[in-house]
Amino acid sequence: MNKLKSASDLEELRKQILSRRDPKKPCITVCSGTACRATGCEKVSAAFQGELKKQKLMNKVDFRTTGCPGFCERGPIVVIQPEGIFYQEVEAKDVGEIVSETILNKRVIDRLLYTDPQTGQKVVLEKEVPFYKKQKRILLDSNSLIDPGKIEDYLAIGGYSALSKVLFEMKPEQVIDVIKQSGLRGRGGAGFPTGIKWETCRRTKGDTKYVICNADEGDPGAFANRGLLEGNPQSVLEGMLIGAYAIGSSEGFIYVRQEYPLAVENVALAIEQAEEYGLLGKNILGSGFDFKITIHRGAGAFVSGESSALMSAIEGKVGEPRPKYVHTSVKGIWDRPSCLNNVETWATVPPIITKGADWFNSMGTERSKGTKIFSLVGKVNNTGLVEVPMGMTLREIITDIGGGIPNGKKFKAVQTGGPSGGCIPEKFLDLPVDFDELAKAGSIMGSGGMIVMDEDTCMVDTAKYFTNFLADESCGKCIPCREGLRQMLKILNAVTAGKATQDDIKRLEELSEVVRDASLCALGQTAPNPVLSTLRHFRDEYEAHIKGSCPAKVCKELVTYYIDPEKCQACGLCLKNCPVGAISGKKEVVHVIDPEKCIKCDACFEVCPDKFNAVAKISGEAVPPAVPQGTRVKKRR
Amino acid sequence: MEKSKSKYVGVRITDQQASVLSRLQKDSKLSKTEILLQGLDFLDEFYSLGLDKQPLSEELSALENEALHHAAELKRVRRREEAIREMVQELRNVDEIVDKYQCDKSAVIQILLDIQAENHWLPRHALMWVSERLDIPMSQILHLATFYKAFSLKPRGKHLVTVCLGTACHVRGGPRILDHAERVLGIKAGETTEDLKFTLESVNCLGCCALGPVIVVDGNYHGKMSPSNVGKILSSCT
Repeated sequence: MNKLKSASDLEELRKQILSRRDPKKPCITVCSGTACRATGCEKVSAAFQGELKKQKLMNKVDFRTTGCPGFCERGPIVVIQPEGIFYQEVEAKDVGEIVSETILNKRVIDRLLYTDPQTGQKVVLEKEVPFYKKQKRILLDSNSLIDPGKIEDYLAIGGYSALSKVLFEMKPEQVIDVIKQSGLRGRGGAGFPTGIKWETCRRTKGDTKYVICNADEGDPGAFANRGLLEGNPQSVLEGMLIGAYAIGSSEGFIYVRQEYPLAVENVALAIEQAEEYGLLGKNILGSGFDFKITIHRGAGAFVSGESSALMSAIEGKVGEPRPKYVHTSVKGIWDRPSCLNNVETWATVPPIITKGADWFNSMGTERSKGTKIFSLVGKVNNTGLVEVPMGMTLREIITDIGGGIPNGKKFKAVQTGGPSGGCIPEKFLDLPVDFDELAKAGSIMGSGGMIVMDEDTCMVDTAKYFTNFLADESCGKCIPCREGLRQMLKILNAVTAGKATQDDIKRLEELSEVVRDASLCALGQTAPNPVLSTLRHFRDEYEAHIKGSCPAKVCKELVTYYIDPEKCQACGLCLKNCPVGAISGKKEVVHVIDPEKCIKCDACFEVCPDKFNAVAKISGEAVPPAVPQGTRVKKRR
Repeated sequence: MEKSKSKYVGVRITDQQASVLSRLQKDSKLSKTEILLQGLDFLDEFYSLGLDKQPLSEELSALENEALHHAAELKRVRRREEAIREMVQELRNVDEIVDKYQCDKSAVIQILLDIQAENHWLPRHALMWVSERLDIPMSQILHLATFYKAFSLKPRGKHLVTVCLGTACHVRGGPRILDHAERVLGIKAGETTEDLKFTLESVNCLGCCALGPVIVVDGNYHGKMSPSNVGKILSSCT
């Protein structure tokens, strides 16, 4: 492979790639992101390749495994181009039919189509699926067009034209100006203006400067960065190259967590291919600009996603944060100026350069521009990655795109911003989502996790979950965070066990304030957010726990399992599934749970058939007395 | 003893002895007297060698015991040699990994990750060797190895079972999945079964939130789990 030596070389290569492609030729694309792999996309891909070979269609039909298009709930997802026919939950056994019916006979297979739950109608085309329809997919759309393992696919959709424009037509200062004008704010959490960060880094004196991509997406419930890095790693590299040119850096790092093995693999391959084409390395495109990227795998520590901790980890030290009296853009890795942005921020840079700052800042709200990817998960019908313009309301995202709450349950809250964020109740559902509005509601944007909770989620348990997570992940360097969180967790444990008093709640609030004000880094400073936001919006649930009941019936200590003798049909299902033998009864004898033996594992509740619905969870009320032995006989209806 | 019926060379013998004698006589074509004389010769030799005496057989059994002891010792030495050879091989692998990163001190976390991936845990001798090669104090290496969740200082089981407890999995019942896996395997999260078959771990988020609750068994992701199919997946591991 020849290295590209000029901008015209790049355009020549692009022309060559495009000339070999026929836009009318059918192309089968299969999502092969981590989530679809979990549902068996690799078998589907293998079946397609086998089938195309068998039917001797290798030359007539293209086949491509792509990155994650976002609709993980319905994976494995197959899209037939150029029409854009959308098949969901495809299995290997469907492959033969897809090839012979859809590819050869141009007939749509009804069974594999998506049914719109609201209208009950089948949807044929990908773009018509309600989940996609309301989105504005600047970044995610490319995911379904390219094979992340082929740089040629990225070049075919215009990849690296932004880099070429920057290198040959713009001065570094101009690049920074465009980013500043675009209003792009960091997608990693705090929303710091990207242009200003770059400018600080450029202005700081120093021979060696670093560019870093933060792919340590530690927030549980967020996977937007994984989707981008796995699906379109080249766009992240291009963004980093542009940033490096703007601040005057020649070395970069990608810090990616090792819990994302596929992302590590795809990025490593992308770097290798970019180097082969001379898009990374020395004298890129003959411009005299050098840049190299090293991958650094994170070894599993939430706090290492914090900028100063991350840089210390890259130096090979323990990833603990330091006080940031001096910004990392001035003193970062080895005390040299270091510009750190998150995956999504870097991936947003090339489109801004190509289409201009005005195009970007025409989307979004007053102070938050462009689009943002959210991981919509939890108790919602259509889970997956959604990309929407800033300012869309929570209701639109959850109801229109997410398809509402499953099983007709009632919405309770949406948790955004990971462990540093908060829970937003129903009354704020019409809040336009942007950096500032979320902060007003007591939460943050974070890295885009959006976890929907329904009436069966206990908010105190949620607060306890996050506090437990943070107490576990606290590095222990500063006392307010290390000890404060431990004490908060103790109180929360008492609350969920029904052993707390009003005074404990007061103490919890005081502790929260101390941890927030006195901690060293953002982990501790934001750690009380889940507690404070649930106390603010769901105080009644805390009160209920103190009185001995868990309204959502989640907290084990406050729940008793009970079989309603009127409803029990003595079918033996719960009896068979009880792992500790706490249920007595037999055929035609109503089953009874022995509360002494019961470990509250929920197995009986789950297996009891919906039509009987005999197992009940009771909280805060007296459990009805057991039925006397003699009257337990039940004739099957 | 049975009463003897016949007499040969002045000795009374039993019927059974008489029949043995006549068979020997038939086979060897020797007279009965000659046979008895030869018998006396053997006895003579037996006594002259001292075979009848206790000390010699004790000496023999002592010798035998010593030989057995030496054999066991030899086995032990061979085993030790094998273990040392294995350790040297392990250290060579560590060497290879360290060389891959050009002995770069800042790559120490990457090096430990590679060793962890190869062995599924971090043996102490490997850590000491990394410390030696990179010239980083052992205390710092242990600081890293205990700080990060990816590292294990104890051997892990053949099958690694990871239960995701991220927020999305939590609200969809992840903790119940973990409870169930703990019950099935009889160990707590972070522990390994005694037969070194399973290691059970929990993880904060795998980024498969849309499919929660998720478990990963030996790198294979399983989504939308319920306690009953956890049991099935675990029992399919051999």
